[in-house]
Amino acid sequence: MYLLGPLLLASAVSGQAPTTGASLTILSREGRRPLPVVDVQGHQMAGLDDLSNLFQLTIREDSAANAVTVSYKTRTVVLTPDQSLASMSGGRLISLPAPLTRQGRRWLVPVEFISRALAPMYDTRVEFRPASRLVVVGDVRVPRITAQYEDSGGTLRITFEITPKAAPVITQDQNRLLLRVEADALDALFPPPPSQNGVMTAIRAVEPNTIVIELGPRFASYRTSTPVSSGAAAAIAIDLVTTAAPVAAAPVASVPEPPAVPATPLPVFGAPRPSIRTIVIDAGHGGDDPGVKGASGLTEKDVTLAVARRLRSTIENRLGIRVLMTRDDDARIDADARVSMANNNKADLFVSLHANGSPRPSARGAAIFSLGLDKVEEDARRQSQANREVLPVYGGGSREFSLVEWELAQASHIEESTAFAALVEQRLKDTAGLAAVSIVTAPMRSLAGANMPAISFEMGYLSNPEDEKLLRSAEFQNGIALAVTDAIVALRDRLDHGQAVPAAQ
Amino acid sequence: MKLKRRDIIVYTGLAGILAGALGVLLIVGPRWLTPPASEVAPPPTAPATARKIRARLLYVSEDGLHLSPVEQEVPYGEGAMEQARQIIEAQVAPPQAPLVSAIPPGTRVRTVFLTQKGEAYVDLSAELRANHPGGTANEILTAYTLVSALTMNIPAIKGVQILVDGKEIDTLAGHLDLRRPLEQDGRWISQ
Repeated sequence: MYLLGPLLLASAVSGQAPTTGASLTILSREGRRPLPVVDVQGHQMAGLDDLSNLFQLTIREDSAANAVTVSYKTRTVVLTPDQSLASMSGGRLISLPAPLTRQGRRWLVPVEFISRALAPMYDTRVEFRPASRLVVVGDVRVPRITAQYEDSGGTLRITFEITPKAAPVITQDQNRLLLRVEADALDALFPPPPSQNGVMTAIRAVEPNTIVIELGPRFASYRTSTPVSSGAAAAIAIDLVTTAAPVAAAPVASVPEPPAVPATPLPVFGAPRPSIRTIVIDAGHGGDDPGVKGASGLTEKDVTLAVARRLRSTIENRLGIRVLMTRDDDARIDADARVSMANNNKADLFVSLHANGSPRPSARGAAIFSLGLDKVEEDARRQSQANREVLPVYGGGSREFSLVEWELAQASHIEESTAFAALVEQRLKDTAGLAAVSIVTAPMRSLAGANMPAISFEMGYLSNPEDEKLLRSAEFQNGIALAVTDAIVALRDRLDHGQAVPAAQ
Repeated sequence: MKLKRRDIIVYTGLAGILAGALGVLLIVGPRWLTPPASEVAPPPTAPATARKIRARLLYVSEDGLHLSPVEQEVPYGEGAMEQARQIIEAQVAPPQAPLVSAIPPGTRVRTVFLTQKGEAYVDLSAELRANHPGGTANEILTAYTLVSALTMNIPAIKGVQILVDGKEIDTLAGHLDLRRPLEQDGRWISQ
């Protein structure tokens, strides 16, 4: 599918870059390949020469037009050095977090180019997973695996979530537990083990498909159970029992019987509070405002409410996060009242659901909108950064809030909102049937007053018969709910692990 | 008897004059009562002597996601404000097939005026909202049809505020914020 030889040469040339960042890993049937990444003014950039070698692209520089054309078969994307927008064949515009940049004799593009430009024009699946720095190419099984720990004194519970579902085979090899997952590779991100727990000293993923848990001196036995399993994700819990615990006499590897009286997990002292505790889901329109009407009669107000309910269930079941709905019936709600609900409940995320409409039935696909500012609003945004206050929030603890005019509340969350929009976009690429997914900034009335990251998600065009059919199907609605939930998990992981949320635009 | 006969002749004469006058009124009158066509908005088939300019009007592109500029003849207007009104009149008029307009059918122009800051206020009839099909893309295309028609043809105009029945509006159908003038945004124009 692609060549390794020229890559090594290109990597040697890339020594001129100011800061060499960690490489991305390209995963395909052919194995793993590194893609060198350099840091330019805070943006992670990859060389077009490297991408060209890996993905068999043709790069053509047009000095007269001051543009670079990247081609793959008959499809093209045109980049210009001073613009963060790129034009794809077919007239679609995509946004990038940084413009095309020249570095010596090389052209560099932001790594988001892979998901936003390369993936749509490539023949096979190209999926960029920024959190684990993986680019998955083609038909390879690379499940995402996350882990959470609950230390209740005598037992350390490790809960793995595996998406898409896969059942690991667990074996003990002396002082290690091995979890083999049926997959070609693993996309695993594990937080460090709780300190001084005595039963687990380390956890890591080993190529190609094994998770290794290093056991500590206090380890006595383990139990497995499947506490939660919802949607496309599988969950498996492993309880590591310590020698001092009353259940130490339990037989080693007594699979998979849950304890008769499940131990109530105690909060870990000093553990960081999760960054996302309350989410407001806004089902667009309602009552005498039906929104867009499809040719076969589906209305925007009905489809937004149906997806909102599915999304609420998925989030509550999988993540245990508090979810509030701006409406749970066919009621008309004022735009400001919707955002007020999120602000008054100190929500950490606002997701407004809509269906799109165009004068031409040819328009298809999903679009994720975040707020875009004009020059006047941009000045006001800078001013708002200085005016912040810490207030208590639901579930204990506190959060920093901006004291700004209602109209400018969203202004200080624009980077997080566009980053979340990009996460939803990435997850939606896997949703079957969507013709296209784009992220757009615009002066959205429904988002202006939201004092938290906020998006308006247009799930498809009711003016297009195929999209209307999709929007009506339960399978598609569930797919949307799962994709948004996955994006929330990715956002939460980043925020919880103290990683800066990269600006998507 | 003589008097009576004379009276009859006089009355008959007067009746004849009255009938003639009535005939003149019925035949010629409508032309007096109706102002000449050139004094009202000139129809597309106005005499060749009516002055025209070529302006780029915006119609929905094939992909349904952008606006395509189409050069058309628009009546000349004396001064920027009158020219702006003529352009909006032409833009709001139903398009000829196969062009597709993002302006809802039935929309009429109430007035167009400019401020010294280069902002145009386009005041349209209630049909702009009442007949709008909804949807973010639809709203964006409707709003930027009006914004682009003015900013692309009259360089002095930097921003456009849309009014309905003389009043400021929040949105057309719930999505795009129209409480402030919108500037031109090239992302919605197909090349």
